[in-house]
Amino acid sequence: MAGTVIGEGLSIEGDVSSEEEVVVQGNLRGKLTTTDAVSVGSSAVIEADVSAQSLTIAGQVTGDVTAAERVDLQAGGRLIGDVKASRLTIADGASFKGNVDMDV
Amino acid sequence: MNGSVIGRGTVVRGNVRGSGSLEILGRVEGDVSVSGELLLGEESAVKGSVSGSHITVSGAVQGDVRGSEAVLLERGARVVGDLTAPRIGVATGALVKGLVRTDGEPVLGTPRRPATAGARPVAFPARAPAPVPAPAPKPSEPSETVEEPESEPPPLPQEKAAREAPPPPVVPALAKGAKAKKKKRED
Repeated sequence: MAGTVIGEGLSIEGDVSSEEEVVVQGNLRGKLTTTDAVSVGSSAVIEADVSAQSLTIAGQVTGDVTAAERVDLQAGGRLIGDVKASRLTIADGASFKGNVDMDV
Repeated sequence: MNGSVIGRGTVVRGNVRGSGSLEILGRVEGDVSVSGELLLGEESAVKGSVSGSHITVSGAVQGDVRGSEAVLLERGARVVGDLTAPRIGVATGALVKGLVRTDGEPVLGTPRRPATAGARPVAFPARAPAPVPAPAPKPSEPSETVEEPESEPPPLPQEKAAREAPPPPVVPALAKGAKAKKKKRED
């Protein structure tokens, strides 16, 4: 079980900073920072810059994302913003608009 | 899935709103408002107003707490702010600094009493308490018997007359004196 779950129906306006896994199924507007993994569920709508160890996106993210490890954009996921990560996967069926910086 | 959790290692700076239930184990600097149940865990800290249907507080809150159904402060809870709910419970070991008000429409006909042994409802005396009927004096009680028993002189003249021997009537007199002596010795 993840340390923090922003469930469907919950919305946060502001900064979220964490040292544990964060699962987002609801709405978040502001900023999300964690030293652990972030999972963006299919029902989630995020308008925030996201910084995490690793990031999985199945919902909607508008904002720049940074991952120390990897970013996985899954089918049905939608990302508008720049990606900074050493590894990136974009699944068939995902939507993405932005720049990619893979630290090369 | 409607159960949201703000984990122990998470800090939220901003407002949290929504439907469903929420459990806060970490820190929130901002207002929290949910339509469902709200649980503030032991190590949680909220700086801002808090509202929900059924709110259980075990952590620290600096702000007003308003429950549409109930607010329960568990042992270890620390609240600096006003409490408002139709039902309010404050357990021993919980700290409150603020106005406590049981508000809203209590269900008529059901007796109000603490739901749990540890929680005790705190009623704000908005209405004047019902006049307590003065204890009616009972006429059947005989008033003469009250003063007699202790001030009775122990020696009975009849006994003295019956016995020619000098020893005094020891039993009742000694009983009184002996008690006092005994106490002194024990001290």
